[in-house]
Amino acid sequence: MCPDNGILSAYLDGEIDAPWNKAIAEHLASCDLCRAVFRRLEETHRVLQSDEAPEWTEAMDRVRLNLGSRAAGVLGRFPLWKRRLPVPVPVAALVAALLLFLGVSLAFTLLRSNVGLVKITLAPAGGTEIQIAAPISNLESLLKSLGGEDMTHEDIITLPKNVRLLTSGQQLMGTEAEFLRKKK
Amino acid sequence: MRAARKKVVVPILLGLAVLQAHSQDREIDPNEALQSLLSKALTITISARVLPPDALDDQAIWNAETEKLTLPGRPIKVRLDGDNVRIYLVVTPYIQESGEILLLAQGQVWLSEPTDKEVKYSSTFYSIPVTFGEKVLFFPLGVSSEEPRSKDFFNIELEIKIVPYKESP
Repeated sequence: MCPDNGILSAYLDGEIDAPWNKAIAEHLASCDLCRAVFRRLEETHRVLQSDEAPEWTEAMDRVRLNLGSRAAGVLGRFPLWKRRLPVPVPVAALVAALLLFLGVSLAFTLLRSNVGLVKITLAPAGGTEIQIAAPISNLESLLKSLGGEDMTHEDIITLPKNVRLLTSGQQLMGTEAEFLRKKK
Repeated sequence: MRAARKKVVVPILLGLAVLQAHSQDREIDPNEALQSLLSKALTITISARVLPPDALDDQAIWNAETEKLTLPGRPIKVRLDGDNVRIYLVVTPYIQESGEILLLAQGQVWLSEPTDKEVKYSSTFYSIPVTFGEKVLFFPLGVSSEEPRSKDFFNIELEIKIVPYKESP
């Protein structure tokens, strides 16, 4: 009866004690089949004991390439606006607050030129157009500060006492030059 | 995944920052606005003179002057109060495209004459193109070259002058 591969491998490793190792040696000498199996085991043992490392880098590169192409295939199936990004809640809240702040400040800045006292438009040709964009009360305040008087009230000039005035015809208005011409 | 997140958030923030910076460029300086406003401002001087009936030029028995600051299109109002008269003068200057001033004025007069116990009222509108510094004369009670009706009564003359506003040094 032939020993199995496990017993032959143990025999090769010197793990079979006497008197069984002698019996296996005698069997190998007489059995061609077992001797062929034993030689293959010896060859495998010799390769494993040698210093040569198997060539694996090329295989590893192929695996990486394969994994990368699969990942790209999965991402490519979804457009950018449908992709979901796992973001921590504090980060999402911070970004939302930042965007809100920027939006509000932007809107305020854009509207600011219309809520001031005046809106000034610089024309491309270099001219300046001024539009009063303030309520009249604000303009009055501005004019008051400029002139030191309130425009809503008329100036009152009191004529001297005991001077009686008399009409001499219809009201007249014109330039001084016009009156001088008429006099001549 | 982190790189993809950056691809979305960073361009948005950059875009907003650029818009913000652009809008800040357009912001008008209040001092500049005030200076532009002042460059359009006008000073209107109104002088009132009371003239005797037979007065020659520059022989007023009384005069007064008021100076008002305004903008083109904004009226100024002056009221003259006397014993038997009240005169309103409303002056609105407009700057025309030619650079000339178009002076719109309204004169209103309430007058009680000794011969009449009633109070007379008259109102007239004027539209006069003038240049800066040119004098405009207004006779609210009229002017006559004929012999005066009474030596005891006086006439009144108002002089209007418009010049660009200049800040006092």
